[in-house]
Amino acid sequence: MRVAIGLINGMIAAATPILLAALGGTLTFYAGIFNIAMEGMMLGGAFFGVLGSYYFGSWVMGIISAIVGALIMALIFILFAITLKVDEFVTGIGLNLFALGTTTYLLRQIFSVKGAFAGPGIVPVPSVSIPLIRDIPVLGQILSGHNLIVYLTALITLAVAFAVFKTRFGLRLRAAGYNATSLQMSGVSTARVRVWSVLLCGVLCGLAGAYLSLGYVTLFSENMSAGRGWISLAAVILVNGHPIGIALISLLFGFADGLGLFMQQSLPSQFTSMVPYIATLIALFVYSIRKKKERVAA
Amino acid sequence: MRQKLLNGLAGIVVALLIGAVVMLVQGYNPVETYLALFNYSLGSGYAFATMLKNSVPLILTGLSAAVAFGSGAINLGQPGQLLMGALAATVAGLYLDLPPAVMIPTLLIAAALGGMAWSGVAALMRRWFNMDEFITTLMLNMIADFFTYWAISYPFFDKGANSPMTPPISRAGWMPEIGRFNTSVLVMLLAFIVTWFISTRTTAGYEWRISGQNSLFARLGGVNTSKNYMLVMLMTGVLAGLAGGLIVMAGPHRFIKDIGANYAWDGVMVAMVANNGIIATLLYGLFFATLQTGALGMELITAVPRELIMVLQAIVLLVVMAGRSYFDIIANKLAERQKTRERVA
Amino acid sequence: MGNLIEMRNIVKVFPPSVVALDDVTVDFEEGEIHAIVGENGAGKSTLMKILYGLESATSGEIYHKGRRLNIRSTKEAIASGIGMVHQEIMLVPEYTVWQNVVLGMEPVNWFGRIDEKRARQQVQERIDEYHFNLDPDALVSDISVAARQKVEILKLLYRNVLTLILDEPTSVLTPQEIPRLFDELRRLRDSGHTILFISHHLDEVLELSDRITVLRRGKKIGTVQADQTSKEELAQMMVGREVLFTSLKQPCKPGRTVFELTDLSYTDPEGRKRLDGVNIHVRAHETVGIAGVEGNGQLELVNAIMGLLPIQEGRLVVDGQDLTHADILTRRGKISFVSQDRGRMSASLPASIKENVLMTHHRQGRFTKLMGLVLNNREAAAFAEEVREQFAVHMDGADAPFSSLSGGNQQKVILGRELLLNTPFVLLDQPTRGLDVGSIEYVHRQILAMREAGRAVLLISADLGELFRITDRILVLSRGRIVADLVTDETDINEVGYLMLEGKRNETEAA
Repeated sequence: MRVAIGLINGMIAAATPILLAALGGTLTFYAGIFNIAMEGMMLGGAFFGVLGSYYFGSWVMGIISAIVGALIMALIFILFAITLKVDEFVTGIGLNLFALGTTTYLLRQIFSVKGAFAGPGIVPVPSVSIPLIRDIPVLGQILSGHNLIVYLTALITLAVAFAVFKTRFGLRLRAAGYNATSLQMSGVSTARVRVWSVLLCGVLCGLAGAYLSLGYVTLFSENMSAGRGWISLAAVILVNGHPIGIALISLLFGFADGLGLFMQQSLPSQFTSMVPYIATLIALFVYSIRKKKERVAA
Repeated sequence: MRQKLLNGLAGIVVALLIGAVVMLVQGYNPVETYLALFNYSLGSGYAFATMLKNSVPLILTGLSAAVAFGSGAINLGQPGQLLMGALAATVAGLYLDLPPAVMIPTLLIAAALGGMAWSGVAALMRRWFNMDEFITTLMLNMIADFFTYWAISYPFFDKGANSPMTPPISRAGWMPEIGRFNTSVLVMLLAFIVTWFISTRTTAGYEWRISGQNSLFARLGGVNTSKNYMLVMLMTGVLAGLAGGLIVMAGPHRFIKDIGANYAWDGVMVAMVANNGIIATLLYGLFFATLQTGALGMELITAVPRELIMVLQAIVLLVVMAGRSYFDIIANKLAERQKTRERVA
Repeated sequence: MGNLIEMRNIVKVFPPSVVALDDVTVDFEEGEIHAIVGENGAGKSTLMKILYGLESATSGEIYHKGRRLNIRSTKEAIASGIGMVHQEIMLVPEYTVWQNVVLGMEPVNWFGRIDEKRARQQVQERIDEYHFNLDPDALVSDISVAARQKVEILKLLYRNVLTLILDEPTSVLTPQEIPRLFDELRRLRDSGHTILFISHHLDEVLELSDRITVLRRGKKIGTVQADQTSKEELAQMMVGREVLFTSLKQPCKPGRTVFELTDLSYTDPEGRKRLDGVNIHVRAHETVGIAGVEGNGQLELVNAIMGLLPIQEGRLVVDGQDLTHADILTRRGKISFVSQDRGRMSASLPASIKENVLMTHHRQGRFTKLMGLVLNNREAAAFAEEVREQFAVHMDGADAPFSSLSGGNQQKVILGRELLLNTPFVLLDQPTRGLDVGSIEYVHRQILAMREAGRAVLLISADLGELFRITDRILVLSRGRIVADLVTDETDINEVGYLMLEGKRNETEAA
């Protein structure tokens, strides 16, 4: 029983950054942008989160800095992909490389270390223990005690679903992706809608990064996003957008991650680290087979 | 042609200027720094030879990406294919004992096969299950990373070492040196020539190129796009695998952790800056190798951290790409203004 | 009735060197239906796009109710009460009617939440006011093309647009839907709206409009009252020379059957039957035309013949060879193909002209050495020269990018490449769409030459005039079925038009 609870909690924890980045990716996906820069935005967020937390001695500043850091990446994306009309794919790759280089460089310059920085001065984002709920047997241990950002993420998921399907912003956002010309003809600047989607994606990825470096663990290491941005991209593509679906798939990937940690007792750690990526391949496999069946069945 | 050259140079200059600004802001001397950079990569015979050796994996993975992207196959798996190629060459180099004249080609073939097998997995997943190779190659990168990590930590681990690495491969498999120059450069140049020939002079290269530009048109023209796709994926896997093998054979002669998968991402970047042009990939590859080789010296002389080079490279990529789009916009605006003037006059 | 809108001295240059509008001055009155006519490339669309804020004039002024207007965006145009409905319907298919109508002007309450009830209500009010037959909750992808056009108009009316610009509104409608549209437009005019519509269908223009402005090659030729002019006069103004509306072809005796399509049926993945027992045969020395409104199976037919769509039911035999399940390359041994969408299916725009011309030829052993593995560049260049000469192409050189050619010249190169494959059967899909008069003439002459040379030609076209000019037989494709197989000289445009819609003959007429 304790194992199961541990697995579920691990699943929720691991799913959180993927979910946040995937929500950001969903927004840009709906807007019709081929955004593969979540990895870079997350990494930037993780670094600036540690920076902010360390220098201001507060996790609130840490989160804010993380978001600012990711927004800087988002602005670069906007500058190149939207204003200068550079290919979105190239911009994404360039941005990811830029984020990797910059964070590694700054890690060296500012903290004078290579590899990772884990000083005692970093203030992590606290976990939340909810009174009353925490006393419920079994369920209490799952629902209570998670990091603050995890609860934020749950709220954000609902907020994103609401925004996309019920608000004016959401109607225009999806129109930008379904038929950008139609939106433009309706008197709405498609470019502006897209810019907003990228900025919001930045905010969400920044939060994801903050969670990585201030919640999940309390440190920054080179390239710490470790391909999670790519997994969140896979999530967006597989689910084709809907926020609730994204949440479910992120939980699945989180579960794979947690499972990997669990399996470390029996398998060498390298194989367990592979689990989320193999899981992504399997998910893609199922998705592709299903699509093929649909086409043949007709 | 001239426009491409101009665009490339402009991008490089702008990036270097931005780098100079960053250095000034941090209190470094840009002129001294750049001098040290180029001195340590081009300034002496030894530096030049080192730069050439470093350019080998960069150019090979760049060619891999360039051919793939230009043909419409989004192969982003060069890092994984490089690692598998390196592993294959290492394992063969540990267990085979042949005279050098046979050993070296054998190891190179092993490396090529290793890379090809890994890209082949992604290609088959696409062929059989219609799984997007964009995602699969990325996932396979991570899997290859962990797999090779395990391989050099357990079955092929050098018991005497205190960090993950294999024992050195048989001496016969070491790439020989001619004076200061490593023969891996020759292999790279050979691969370059073959790639260039295939791409520009053969019907296959023609078909690949057109398929990359407009696959529907190619299909309607009678081109067998799925067969070509397989060939492209396999060939680009070969190139990336070869890069991995050469790193081992010309460098530390054993598989060390983190042996150089980031070469592969840099190679992808080179291909993009070069807009998938074969010759341009060679040139940009040499340029980026210059930057990377000189970075060490730059750090020695002026204490500018070598990681700045990573940032500079990304800036070059973004600026050159932006320049490309922008040039078109400007050229059109100029032509429009010209035509109006003619009409009014 | 005063002048509502005046456009004065409008000039528009497209980079690098195309003068689309050359000092055009025209005015529109309140409460009139005003048609803008001209051939392809005359500048009609450009002029209206400038009025709507989609393009900016290189020079010139626009006046609205006497006041100078600087329209820089569609938003500003709409604010001045000017709106445009495009030829291609620009709605979001995934959204409902009301969502499409209010997009960009959504009624909201707190947090930006859309007030769906109010939106539906407002849309319904407009629907009732103008007697449109629309369901606000219907998905746009489910309604007919004519209905979608109404939604576009509704969208403009919702924004209180008084001047409606319609770009080739009848091009997407069947002959029966057209009178209904005309009734709507007349009703709108009578309630004070101004309708500007672009067309090159002279019959419709004469029937519907009050005044007509003719453009030719970017210049305004004149504005006439509809009841004071004739089709011939308009045509002459449009083209500048005497236009004959008669057929071009010489009689030609058909030979053996080259192309035989038997009982072709196709059901798409969503379960809709797109082709139903289609039978087509074309003989040597014969040009067969396929008439039909777009979307009735033409796309599936072309794809099935070319091999992009596997043939589930039916048989395809060309020049004695069964190609039903053959791969595309094998088919190309017998079939030449000019598609309706050059850039998408018949060429690679960024590639050079030479590279475009090589396609398919390179697979048939020409211009290659070493068992077809290596390209013979010299011979390829010579071939490009040959195409240039034979087909009178204006190009900068065979290594220039294909995109540097004008539309007409691109089509010539494509025609050249396909015809020089010397296949017994030629498939042409809307080959003259988007071309200028000179190029259209050229393509028609080439088609007739093919016919004389003994090839079998299948021509799919939405232009009935074109079909009557150059085909021997006309087949009508309606809802995936061939509903008529007529000899061109024994039928007329009205009969074919009726068949295109109704799928059967007009019983009252036949009696």
